[in-house]
Amino acid sequence: MTVDTRILTVEDDERIRTVVKMALEDDGWTVLEASSGEEAIGLFTIHQPDVVLIDIMLPGIDGFELCRTIRRTSDVPVVMVTARDDTHDIVAGLEAGADDYLTKPFENKELSARIRALLRRVRPSGTPHARVVFGDLEIIPDEGKVLCSGTEVHLTKTEFRLLCEMAENPGKVFSREALLDKVWGYDYFGDGRLVDVHVRRLRTKIETDPAHPRHVVTVRGLGYRLQS
Amino acid sequence: MTATVEPVIVDDDRVDDDTLGLRGIFDRRRRRPWGLRRRILATFLIGATMLAVLLAGTTYGLASSNVVQQREEAAIEATRRNARTVQTALRGPAPTAQPAVDALVSFGVQRALIWYRDSWTAGTGRYQADALPQSLVDRVIDDAVPAHIVTEVDGETNIAVGWPLANDAAYFEFFSLDEVSSTLRSVRLSLILAGAITIVLAIITATIASRRAVRPVGEAARAAKAIAGGRLDTRLDANGDPDLAVLSESFNDMASALQERIERDARFASDVSHELRSPLTTLAGSIELIQARRDDLPDRAREAVDLLSSDVARFRTLVEDLLEISRFDAGAVTLHTDELLLTQFVSHAVSVSSMPDTPVIIGDRADNMLIVADRRRLARVIANLIDNARLHGGGAAEVRVEIPAAGRQVAHIRVEDHGPGVPHHERRLVFERFARGGGAGRRAGNDGSGLGLALVAEHVRLHGGRVWVAVRADRTDGAAFIVELPAEDISADLDGEDPA
Repeated sequence: MTVDTRILTVEDDERIRTVVKMALEDDGWTVLEASSGEEAIGLFTIHQPDVVLIDIMLPGIDGFELCRTIRRTSDVPVVMVTARDDTHDIVAGLEAGADDYLTKPFENKELSARIRALLRRVRPSGTPHARVVFGDLEIIPDEGKVLCSGTEVHLTKTEFRLLCEMAENPGKVFSREALLDKVWGYDYFGDGRLVDVHVRRLRTKIETDPAHPRHVVTVRGLGYRLQS
Repeated sequence: MTATVEPVIVDDDRVDDDTLGLRGIFDRRRRRPWGLRRRILATFLIGATMLAVLLAGTTYGLASSNVVQQREEAAIEATRRNARTVQTALRGPAPTAQPAVDALVSFGVQRALIWYRDSWTAGTGRYQADALPQSLVDRVIDDAVPAHIVTEVDGETNIAVGWPLANDAAYFEFFSLDEVSSTLRSVRLSLILAGAITIVLAIITATIASRRAVRPVGEAARAAKAIAGGRLDTRLDANGDPDLAVLSESFNDMASALQERIERDARFASDVSHELRSPLTTLAGSIELIQARRDDLPDRAREAVDLLSSDVARFRTLVEDLLEISRFDAGAVTLHTDELLLTQFVSHAVSVSSMPDTPVIIGDRADNMLIVADRRRLARVIANLIDNARLHGGGAAEVRVEIPAAGRQVAHIRVEDHGPGVPHHERRLVFERFARGGGAGRRAGNDGSGLGLALVAEHVRLHGGRVWVAVRADRTDGAAFIVELPAEDISADLDGEDPA
């Protein structure tokens, strides 16, 4: 991992912030700390960190709002941290644009694993194709570009990786577990909604009619499949 | 979301009738009093029948007396008129009455009889003097007053009317009542028909009325069920039937109170959750940091950190499980269901459990079973059962996915171990909170929270399934924890699909 990888952690509980900082520094990353959303926005614009950790319960601007604010200008990977495993919060966090989430209490190594997965090269591990074409959808993995009917579509890194993973094996059905493992690096029982929310977002960007997807289709009981 | 199915924990795979309480239901049904609808229907029916009979009877009585009376009056009037004709014909005085009778016959009067000069002269047919009742003859001839009487002639009902004439003569005439009888017959028929229609209409009205009367009860029952099922914002329409306003208002008050309480409890659980998780995060993170520097620590400190570390882990599990179970108690649990392919799901859940190498054996027809489940919760069920086997059963031997019987839309997930098994009297108890294996006592190094199986029961119940302990399928030593879940065979839908 490069030494100058910067992680911005937004957390109002000073003790947790300190532990997180120490743990992430143990992994060789540089940690920027913010105790509020306002402070985080300031730090974010100055330092342009590589990953942002956001606690949902913040004084002032809450985590969702902060995430949306960051998303407006950047596709930096965002991990939401929540102390309530209220599913509402989780889905709302993902809808606000988070790439992944963690529930307190988490283990340091779990946090590191999540960040490492997000920092992985955008390019998937399989055999490289210069470009993959699915009807009106065109993926150029090397340039990180997706064209829809010739127009470039802006995807976040996670959405792009999700699309590329499925593009590796056109027509093959990917279970949510397989996608969690390949895209998010989950080796435990992850949350299928993480995949579902990202698929939904992906569809709104690449499908002509997101309600009746032609490219990313759901296979009942199994998962998702990419087709032309 | 559903929370209506109680976990049925039975002692063996076999579920006999009594466990399901069928006998009780049938007994109760036999003695059950009449329902509201049936009572309304019966009341309507009895009322309508009585009314119909009363009306028909009165109508018939009035109609028949009226018709008969009219006929009598007409007969008397005709007789009077004909008698005058005869009187005129007999003036002279005529030697016999025959010309008079002939004159009458020529008018179309057939059933005439004339007593003249002590002898009878009759018209045509059966209507002869012997057909006249003696009482009428006596009254008319001897007393010289007009009279009439109803009499049968050859099986036909007639009115015989007598009219005294001058010179001891008398005129008699028969009038058939057949027309009257047939009129009355059709009146009778119409009345019976009207009565039947009335009763049928009464039944229809009663059915509709009773259905309407019972509808609020049905709505209340459905609302209560919905609330029990977790839809706490269900309310009855308070602006409906004013007679039932008291019921709907108190029902709604109850529902609001319940909702408020459940939401308060849920909020409390959520706050507690937050307050407990934050320090736990610091605690767990700090210990992990120390553990990473374990080699720099003196021996005694290392030992202490290990103790701390293992108990923080245990405490964490306990907090997680307590929070989870308190959410169940607060009724604040909602399922986030997906359609899952059972075998694929179970294999994955086992592979991420504490014993990922546990073999998963797929039984006949168990491929392609679809379940609708909350993946996190169901994975937790499997993980907890495997943990239980690891801690108390000497390690999970295998997990089986089976279809117990064709046609029943259920699937079984069996987690079997090679432990000492669970004695009969403890098979229900193991699903209680903080239940510890009897005799074994509190084991050293036990890292279970004591809530694992209780959570299993709650999760399974929420999925509309049930869980119980039995003996292993191969009858060797050990226990089998069986989770039964509703499942659907989708082999037909999956042709040609290759699961990743």
